Amino acid sequence: MFKALKEKLFSVRQRLETTIEEQKLDSDLTIHSAPSQGSPEPSALSESPAPTPPPRESEREKKAPGFAQKVVSLVRDREFIIAAKDIEDSLSDLEIGLLESDVAFSATDAILTRVREDLTGSKRKIGTSVDAVITNALSDALLSVLGEGVNILDFIASREKPVKILFTGVNGTGKTTSVAKVAHYLTNHGLTVAIGAGDTFRAGAIEQIDVHGERLGLKVIQHQEGSDPSAVLFDTVQYAKAHNIDIVLGDTAGRFHNRVNLMNQLAKIRRVIQPDLIVYVDEAVAGNDAVIRAEEFSKSVGMDAVMLTKVDMDPKGGAAISIAHAVGKPLIFIGTGQGYDDIMPFEPKAIVADLLAGEA
Amino acid sequence: MLGNLGTNLKDALKKLAGKTVIDRVAVEELVKDLQRALLQADVNVKQVMQLSQTIKKRSLEEEPPKGVTAREHVLKIVYEELVHLVGGKVDVQLGRQTILMAGLQGSGKTTTTAKIARYFKKKGLRVGVICADTFRPGAYTQIKTLCDRVQVNCFGNPKETDARKIVAEGLQHLKDEVIIVDTQGRHALEDELIQEIIDLNEMTHATHRWLVLDAALGQQAREQARRFHEAVQIDGVIITKMDGTAKGGGALSAVSETGSGIVFIGAGETIEDLEWFDPDSFISRLLGMGDLKALAEKVQESIKEDDIDVNAMLSGKFTLRDMYKQLEAVNKMGPLKQVLSMLPLGGMEVPAEAVDVTSVKMERYRIIMDSMTSTELDDPAVLNGSRVQRIAMGAGATLEEVRELIKYYKMMKRTFKNLKGGEKGMQRLMKKFGRFS
Ligand SMILES: Nc1nc2c(ncn2[C@@H]2O[C@H](COP(=O)(O)OP(=O)(O)O)[C@@H](O)[C@H]2O)c(=O)[nH]1
Ligand SMILES: Nc1nc2c(ncn2[C@@H]2O[C@H](COP(=O)(O)OP(=O)(O)O)[C@@H](O)[C@H]2O)c(=O)[nH]1
Ligand SMILES: [Mg+2]
Ligand SMILES: [Mg+2]
Repeated sequence: MFKALKEKLFSVRQRLETTIEEQKLDSDLTIHSAPSQGSPEPSALSESPAPTPPPRESEREKKAPGFAQKVVSLVRDREFIIAAKDIEDSLSDLEIGLLESDVAFSATDAILTRVREDLTGSKRKIGTSVDAVITNALSDALLSVLGEGVNILDFIASREKPVKILFTGVNGTGKTTSVAKVAHYLTNHGLTVAIGAGDTFRAGAIEQIDVHGERLGLKVIQHQEGSDPSAVLFDTVQYAKAHNIDIVLGDTAGRFHNRVNLMNQLAKIRRVIQPDLIVYVDEAVAGNDAVIRAEEFSKSVGMDAVMLTKVDMDPKGGAAISIAHAVGKPLIFIGTGQGYDDIMPFEPKAIVADLLAGEA
Repeated sequence: MLGNLGTNLKDALKKLAGKTVIDRVAVEELVKDLQRALLQADVNVKQVMQLSQTIKKRSLEEEPPKGVTAREHVLKIVYEELVHLVGGKVDVQLGRQTILMAGLQGSGKTTTTAKIARYFKKKGLRVGVICADTFRPGAYTQIKTLCDRVQVNCFGNPKETDARKIVAEGLQHLKDEVIIVDTQGRHALEDELIQEIIDLNEMTHATHRWLVLDAALGQQAREQARRFHEAVQIDGVIITKMDGTAKGGGALSAVSETGSGIVFIGAGETIEDLEWFDPDSFISRLLGMGDLKALAEKVQESIKEDDIDVNAMLSGKFTLRDMYKQLEAVNKMGPLKQVLSMLPLGGMEVPAEAVDVTSVKMERYRIIMDSMTSTELDDPAVLNGSRVQRIAMGAGATLEEVRELIKYYKMMKRTFKNLKGGEKGMQRLMKKFGRFS
């Protein structure tokens, strides 16, 4: 995942670093009275990036630094100031990289703004590695968008049984398959699972989840096609209670956020079964619309976490960043294929560290 | 489709209103707005950069023909470039045919298969569907249920795991005029499944291979389309789920990547929710019909003024006299290249030799033709050795020059004939302009 983005980030980092080094050299040359001990440090490129965040400047200069200020800064503090115009080219490179990775417009803007603010106008003490400054600016920006993440097993352990997890999303994103994968993942961790066939609308949907249940050896509660989905899911919860089952996974029919009656139906399901966790499912190949629909789902029925499917189709995975940015909810899993094992818990810290680690 | 591109463009074009010279700042603003709208609609980033560069370059560098305002000039360029993006009109034939459905997992292939089956059935054709999805649980039940609803034949076997075998049997079994093969979802990186669809395409001798794409598809669209196209030569794209809020720009990138067009649009979960797509009226609406109409009128006016019989030229009756008039008109309207560029020719190529003739040469040609008789001008076929000699003498030109002129004439004639024959040819465009005026 994020391979292309990783390459892009690497080249942007390199470029920023060169720019900043050159600028420093320029400043050094202009100020003749500058003490000579501040020789340029060796390139930090070969070193591994510092994993700890940098100490934040207490007062950040947001205005374009004037010449006088530069002089003062250089002579007195042995620092130099990164000017916005010097990094614009690199930032526009980063922008294209993000857009090409399907990071939506709004999220791209947010990341760029954050990196720009972090880098420009800030005084950098000579001696801190340039690479660390850049890496940390990027890392902060990405983490601020991706959030902390959640551990599903810890979450389940903290709740009363049966823990009810409801899957929602638009048509064809992979809800049903994801229900099967998550069921498989949880049973692999020693938990018991029952599934509710909540898609009573689409032709063949009940059979689809039923076959998955059969293959995984799990109970699938089902009603007739066309019946009320809240009733099936309610029955599933009752079944789980009666059989002391740890977790209920509720499948639902796909629906578009602009269909009021269908969204009301989902709201009803929510009222009836009171889920512990609403998992919103969307696909990695979705473009800018991912943001719009995530926001709408979040507003009308709510969501607690996101599962991103079909990452095998689009390893760039920018939709993960878009959705997380739009709704501020953690990504819990990614789906990477059509098999039951094609599922991975999503850990933002590890992903971002990997994104910014060493060479592309 | 394409979201607020229309509003953005109209606003941006307003800034050019009343201007006689192209305003660089206004063009740059327009291009920026265009970029933003296209990117937000998920058109491929590289394609957007290319398209906006072309529009900017052409707007600033190409001389607007006389009498055409700056705004009309830019509008015309935007129109032409959007035609590239949206693709040509796809005519769905109502005869015997086999259609192979292709696409990513969950894109809407099965639902669309049923919608198309219903479409052909309503047109009075006998339709049969083969379920070649041997992977997704419930796939056969899904398509069978839908086929039963519209009462068309459905062949499949949920126990069989080999799609090729089912298709072979289905082809034998079904005797219907229209056969639609619904396939399992696959993507560019799944080599075995790509091979499967190559095999299915060969086995079925499919008349059409339609790529079904979700309107929300983002930057991946182009790469996915490229792979499908490479495998089975996609000849049409169907955009599904247009009833949501997605803008379909990814699917459009797939259209230009495959050089095909949009066949249908899916806009709902039920079987009736299938729509036509007419690229012309789509773009016209996007840009504002009035503008296009005005432009078309202007073009016709300038042509009439200079007395060039476009229709005669296109019908292949292009004589030396026509060429003479044309060369005369060049003085008034600017180079032929631009006269032709007034017409949205889509992706059609006009040979460079046909338009890259210097004005000096044009003038020489005119003088030579002044020495020709009416018979020669109207029927160039009579030109023989002795006539050529006489003309050269009369015009004070060399034999070489006269022969060169005849060669140029023949090439022009061929060009106009080709234009006429071309699928997205000038004739069609003239017809369209006729419709507007
Ligand atoms: N390649 C790939 N296909 C997937 C993934 N998740 C689901 N699918 C496929 O996408 C299609 C739609 O999935 P489904 O679960 O039925 O979607 P739903 O309509 O949201 O329930 C099916 O063909 C699935 O096999 C994934 O992570 N990778
Ligand atoms: N709203 C809407 N849903 C659609 C449309 N086309 C397909 N779908 C839904 O998208 C999901 C996947 O469709 P399906 O035909 O099973 O896709 P396939 O995996 O490509 O065969 C289903 O829930 C369909 O009902 C459409 O045009 N509009
Ligand atoms: Mg489903
Ligand atoms: Mg299908």
